[in-house]
Amino acid sequence: MDSLHIGSYTFSSRLILGTGKFSSSSVMLEAVKASGTQLVTVALRRFNREQPGDDLFTPLTSIPGITLMPNTSGASTAAEAVQAARIARELSGSPFIKVEIHPNPQHLMPDPIETYEASKILAKEGFLVMPYIPADPVLAKRLEEAGCVSVMPLGSAIGSGQGLATAEMLKIIIRESAIPVIVDAGLRSPSEAALAMEMGCDAVLVNSAVAVAGNPPVMAEAFAEAVAAGRKAFAAGIMEKSGIAVATSPLTSFLGTEA
Amino acid sequence: MNPLPEWLSAGHDETRFRAMLSPDSPYTLEQLAGESKAITLRRFGRTMSLYAPLYLSNHCSSGCAYCGFASDRKTPRRRLEQEEIRKELGAMKRLGISDVLLLTGERTKAADFDYLRTSVATAAADMQRVTVEAFPMSVSEYRELAEAGCTGITIYQETYDPLRYAELHRWGPKKDFRERLETPSRALEGGIKTVGLGVLLGLADPQEDALMLYRHLRYLGKTYWRAGLSVSFPRIRPQTGSYEPPFPVSDHLLARMIFAFRIALPDVELVLSTRESPAFRDGMAGIGVTRMSIASRTTVGGYHDAESSDRGQFDVFDDRTAEAFCNALRDKNIEPVFKNWEHAYNGPSHMEAEK
Repeated sequence: MDSLHIGSYTFSSRLILGTGKFSSSSVMLEAVKASGTQLVTVALRRFNREQPGDDLFTPLTSIPGITLMPNTSGASTAAEAVQAARIARELSGSPFIKVEIHPNPQHLMPDPIETYEASKILAKEGFLVMPYIPADPVLAKRLEEAGCVSVMPLGSAIGSGQGLATAEMLKIIIRESAIPVIVDAGLRSPSEAALAMEMGCDAVLVNSAVAVAGNPPVMAEAFAEAVAAGRKAFAAGIMEKSGIAVATSPLTSFLGTEA
Repeated sequence: MNPLPEWLSAGHDETRFRAMLSPDSPYTLEQLAGESKAITLRRFGRTMSLYAPLYLSNHCSSGCAYCGFASDRKTPRRRLEQEEIRKELGAMKRLGISDVLLLTGERTKAADFDYLRTSVATAAADMQRVTVEAFPMSVSEYRELAEAGCTGITIYQETYDPLRYAELHRWGPKKDFRERLETPSRALEGGIKTVGLGVLLGLADPQEDALMLYRHLRYLGKTYWRAGLSVSFPRIRPQTGSYEPPFPVSDHLLARMIFAFRIALPDVELVLSTRESPAFRDGMAGIGVTRMSIASRTTVGGYHDAESSDRGQFDVFDDRTAEAFCNALRDKNIEPVFKNWEHAYNGPSHMEAEK
């Protein structure tokens, strides 16, 4: 069985879903169920113990077979993210934390420096740290050394639907990484998710593309199928592209005939 | 001497913004609405973040011609004491509110900086997110306010036309145009994370003011790269209240402005208050605006103690209950979000120089 291993956890689904931006929590729950996902991320700021109707966390706990991964979206510094992670662990009981640090609330780009600092601290505290990062191969290795269980480089800006704009950097990260690489942010359509999987990503995280689709549960299912197909293709070994031209005058004639 | 700073003069990237707002715009309202809706959906999803204002005090030292709290108005003056603030917050929390905007008039002895800072700390103990719309402060005061738990301030320039500004702000500290203009910069330098800007629509040429507001936002974004920015669209509605706006802004023009800001600044929070009608608010939800006030009282207090003696700063047009308003959003397939913040994210913004 071709499973995804993160820390000591094993998942058969390679699709991770985000839970923001949906028109209602009931639509979100339907999408989560339809996707067959086993790992779902929820922002700590959307936990609301005082007002059940406004809470995203509790309803998710009723879906069987799902591991919840709180995230620190809204934090702008390492200190805030660390504090948020501790609160999230206490409230959710989950060992996972998706470290998400946006120093600027407009463009939502991850801060590599603060993310590294927070991840280092949290890994030492025993969290299973999954940092959301720019597609930077060196940063990815630094985070691996710091004890993260996965890295989550962005395909393109959050909510942009620009797909795998960082493809060339992602290929380097995938080639070099000893921990799972999960493409997070920017995917617009299932074909892009399939492409990420064909490139060798271990999983993808999708949120906006499902949440704002015409029919989120059906779109969630479409993403699940695309991710499975892309993974299967990668595992089967994809045919090389043709196009390496054979020179008309041989390059190796000087070697003579082989003895 | 030109009272406007260099950064409010023509920019290099405003051609489209001007074209969207120009009276002979090449873009139809419907075209702009379509583009604005697509951006809003992509960037903010099918959600609306909600807040409510709490007027702490209506004492005021300024004489703004258009305001119900101006110091020459004969409205009864009062301020809420900390115990009253706690009761008001308790009543707001029962409505589901966890994001509060605290308001005062211009700085007075009755409602000075210490009073405001204490009130912020009181509110931050109870609410997830506290923002302030009060008077201009110094960098060090903003630093103290941020440390007390204030994450954002709202400060409207009202108008960027210095001559109109001088006519309208007849006396008091608010008369100083430049002091007010530089307030958002001081707040960001002091560690306030988000600044909300706006012009009071109706006071001066709306297209010109919108362009200046756009330049101000671009300047702040470039100068303070961590700054969270939001834009509000307070409008003096014609034929309501005692002040007749010299430059009334129609629903169509207001909608066009909101679309233009959404398209030109796709990631910025756009805010619409209960000054606007239920129909206009419902219509703008999901196609540009991403943050709205609910169940607002514009009198001092008014949530716990519903009997208030003053008339309020302005008349609330959308007076639906929190529940009725949320249901209207849900009918439009938009999720009302009460809690979109976390205590852990309060405190001053990060400044590299201080590390």
